[in-house]
Amino acid sequence: MKKLLALLLASMMLLSMTAVFADVAQDVESAKELTHEELVQKAKAEEGTFIVYGNTSRITTALEDFSKLYDIPGEGNNLKDAEIYTKLEIEIDGSAKGADMVMIQDGASLIYMLNNDYLVNYLPAALAGSVAEDDQNPLVQQYINKLFIYSNIDDKVAPIKNVWALTEPAMKGNVIFKNPETEQVNMNFLVMLTSDDWSDKLADAYKSYFGKDIELGDFKNAGYKWIAEFLSNSVFGSSDTSIAEEISQTTASGKIGLFVLSKLRSSSVLADNLTVAQYDASENNYTVEPFSGFIYPMYALVSSGATRPYTAMLFIEYLMGAEGFAPWGKSIGAYSTNQDLVPLEGDLPISVWKDSLVVENPAYILENYEDVSTFVTKYLQ
Amino acid sequence: MIKSNPLRWRRLMGRVRSFLSKPANIILLVFFIILTLLTLYPLVILLWETVIVHAGREARAIGLKKGATTLYHFKRLLFTLDDGGAGGIRLSNSWIQFYEPLFNTLSVSITSSAIAIAFGGTVAWFVARTNIKYKKFISTVFVFPYIMPSWTLALFWQSFFKNVNVGTGTSNGIMASVFGIFVPQWFVYGYFPISFVLGLHYAPFAYILIGGILRNMDANLEEAATILKTPRSRILSRITLPIVMPAMMSTLLLVFASSMSAYAVPIFLGSPVRYYVLSTKMKSLMDTYSGQAYIIAAVMILFGVIILALNKKMTGSRKSFTTVTGKSSQIALVNLKRANRPIALLLVVILALAAVLPLITFAAESVIIKAGDYSFSNMTLEFWIGKDLQYLDQGDSNGILFSPKVWKALGYSLALAVTCALVAGTSGMLVGYGIAKRKNSKLANAVNSLSFFPYLMPSLAFGAIYLAMSTRVSWLNGFVLLALVGSVKYLPFASRSGVNAMLQLSGEIEEAALVVAVPWWKRMTRIIFPIQKATFLSGYLLPMISCMRELSLFVLLVPTSNTILTTMLMQYSEKGWAQFGNAINLLIIVVVLTLNFTVNKLTGASIDKGVGG
Repeated sequence: MKKLLALLLASMMLLSMTAVFADVAQDVESAKELTHEELVQKAKAEEGTFIVYGNTSRITTALEDFSKLYDIPGEGNNLKDAEIYTKLEIEIDGSAKGADMVMIQDGASLIYMLNNDYLVNYLPAALAGSVAEDDQNPLVQQYINKLFIYSNIDDKVAPIKNVWALTEPAMKGNVIFKNPETEQVNMNFLVMLTSDDWSDKLADAYKSYFGKDIELGDFKNAGYKWIAEFLSNSVFGSSDTSIAEEISQTTASGKIGLFVLSKLRSSSVLADNLTVAQYDASENNYTVEPFSGFIYPMYALVSSGATRPYTAMLFIEYLMGAEGFAPWGKSIGAYSTNQDLVPLEGDLPISVWKDSLVVENPAYILENYEDVSTFVTKYLQ
Repeated sequence: MIKSNPLRWRRLMGRVRSFLSKPANIILLVFFIILTLLTLYPLVILLWETVIVHAGREARAIGLKKGATTLYHFKRLLFTLDDGGAGGIRLSNSWIQFYEPLFNTLSVSITSSAIAIAFGGTVAWFVARTNIKYKKFISTVFVFPYIMPSWTLALFWQSFFKNVNVGTGTSNGIMASVFGIFVPQWFVYGYFPISFVLGLHYAPFAYILIGGILRNMDANLEEAATILKTPRSRILSRITLPIVMPAMMSTLLLVFASSMSAYAVPIFLGSPVRYYVLSTKMKSLMDTYSGQAYIIAAVMILFGVIILALNKKMTGSRKSFTTVTGKSSQIALVNLKRANRPIALLLVVILALAAVLPLITFAAESVIIKAGDYSFSNMTLEFWIGKDLQYLDQGDSNGILFSPKVWKALGYSLALAVTCALVAGTSGMLVGYGIAKRKNSKLANAVNSLSFFPYLMPSLAFGAIYLAMSTRVSWLNGFVLLALVGSVKYLPFASRSGVNAMLQLSGEIEEAALVVAVPWWKRMTRIIFPIQKATFLSGYLLPMISCMRELSLFVLLVPTSNTILTTMLMQYSEKGWAQFGNAINLLIIVVVLTLNFTVNKLTGASIDKGVGG
């Protein structure tokens, strides 16, 4: 009898939990009508600790400030994308308490998580006019850029006007990149280059650099050819930070890297020894053909396993504002998608970056990932 | 049927009762059940993962829904050998993703095991069996490399030996800039340094396990040989080596399995020369095509099992290794005579380079502001004792000694390490007792293998499986979950030293007490434990230290990245917050050394004490 009762209770608990999960999407839908004050009220009425998983260390700072502002207990976890997805899936499938809200980078996996209702998109109604349409669903909270940056010691590296310059024999061993196999956004960038759009641009750039039409040989398009030659010239560093530190050394003349711009602000990087290709191009009125690096999004979404969905929405609203973006916005290399926020002095606005950099298209990446990544690994040997 | 044959039933019951009357049997039975649940279940899950479709890229590539069964992962990872085009088999997917990394992994694992056994075993012999000078120093310092998280040792290697002619070719390390020595590329990156760093990192295994046996072995055997004028080399090869063989095999197993799943060292020392091993491939596949990653995990386990079987064959039925009989306690130390000082000095220098120099480097790197500039004007203690450091934008606004975040994580790490040590250590001792008492029985063999099994599971995969398990058991979360995983994963350390200690112990000792009807727990606490205290305590200390510096096992299970010190440290290392990272690394080392010292003062045992000194 007792066993039966226990079983009954357990199954009731399970049922009630699944019921809660199903509600998150509805809550998000209905919240579109709420004013800021009403959202705050609903968020404060929720119980338990507000939990966030984020592939960015500053999430903890942002959450601490948020917790203070609204007096809501919060807990921020800095995890990698794959860890976040693994945890989310296991926790939501197992109806266990996990994240209420997540910040992630890998858009290709995100598509699945959205299609299968693990994550719910929420765009604060007031922001509809301030965020570019492309960035609204799924909501991109900010973009981060990786740029061609080179050592200016002895002026050994000529200003980069065309990415085919990096494939020249003279650059062999002088291009430093993080192994795309160990960082997803790097692989995603390479995948994007094989798209019709980018391979056409690369073919044009080839012509303007070498003065003749590209000969593809066995390569499917110009994107593949550039990837092959670029990777053959590259040496892999272990992290963007160490790449930035290394190229900034006085002994590193002649080296060029493709890494996160924000590392230039790190106290251990001798930024004076580095030149950002795009900055040089903007100052001297030339363009880097056809791109001067790439840019990748950081998405902000509500977990369908949220037990504090309103708090999650309030936090997203907060992150999209000046105060919430502050932990990232205080240094160069991070760009809020809220166009009302002005970029940092000395940096360029997101619209300029989007025109001069390769932007991710999650659907294309998901579709072509296996082909391109198989190709890429052959050039990592 | 049972009722129809009361005699048979009674006989069976009698047999059960007599079976259960022996504590060793109860211990083995209980651990058999628990370990089956805690290790075989994860293994089954892991194998299941190799045949199902996972979400995202994988589902897209295969064209099946998540959860469907498939042999695609096997086909893709192991049998795609024809897509290399002009490059032939060497550019095929399977060769690149599996066979070549497998070959590299085996080379690295075998080499690092050999280095660990040769280096650790030799030093253990000198410390335990000779009158070498500076024993205390050698013994204490030898375990340092194991206390440091292995990747910090790799970072040290890189920053010490790098120069403008190798790798990224961007800067000179201390060797080049201070001594003007530009070492070749193979010395800085790839097979050699990876094997060497791992071998150095795990040499303390050999030192502790082999040293424990050497110290406790019966000197009668060697003395008898000496009386018969057997040459010393023959004594070593025919008596000493066979006796330490089980410990050497245990070491081989531990170092091999650890090296195989080491991830951070090959990333730091392999990337620049494009040297890949299975663990690095597994990690990147885990993020994209996890089915193939789990196959790699299974292959790693398979290799572990092969060595485990070898190990069993060598230590199993053939020989008895009873060396502590209670009849002799005198160990004759070999007199090194004139060779004493040169050998001692050589060891001290090697240890200073391998164990002390990294510490000094960490300390230096924790106070300099811009990398590579070691002048006083570029130094600050802000990262240790500073306040209001927001301007640095490095994740913390206080120096680590004033950071509430760091202290909280330290407390958590300590509590976790101590819990794991207590659970694993006690279990290991009991398991050792059970196995030794019921030696060669089926149950003992099963428990022996089961208790070792967790160590063969790659940490990352083990963590993921426990995370999945935790969602099905309501009380399994937070601290309990971490402590359970840590205890199970590090049980092999404790059970190894437990089994080693017990196998050495002659049955007569316990029988003597049994004759006068001393109860079991009293025999354990008053006789067995005190005799083999040193070896048992190493079974407590090793799990504790390993937990203090463990990363990949816990990374999926910690409630937040700031929960324990290592996840915090890895975050800092990855973000490139070198000063905070180095400071925390030193903090971990100092805390572990303090713990070791305290245990040493309180109980007379310590990690290195398994050996002597």
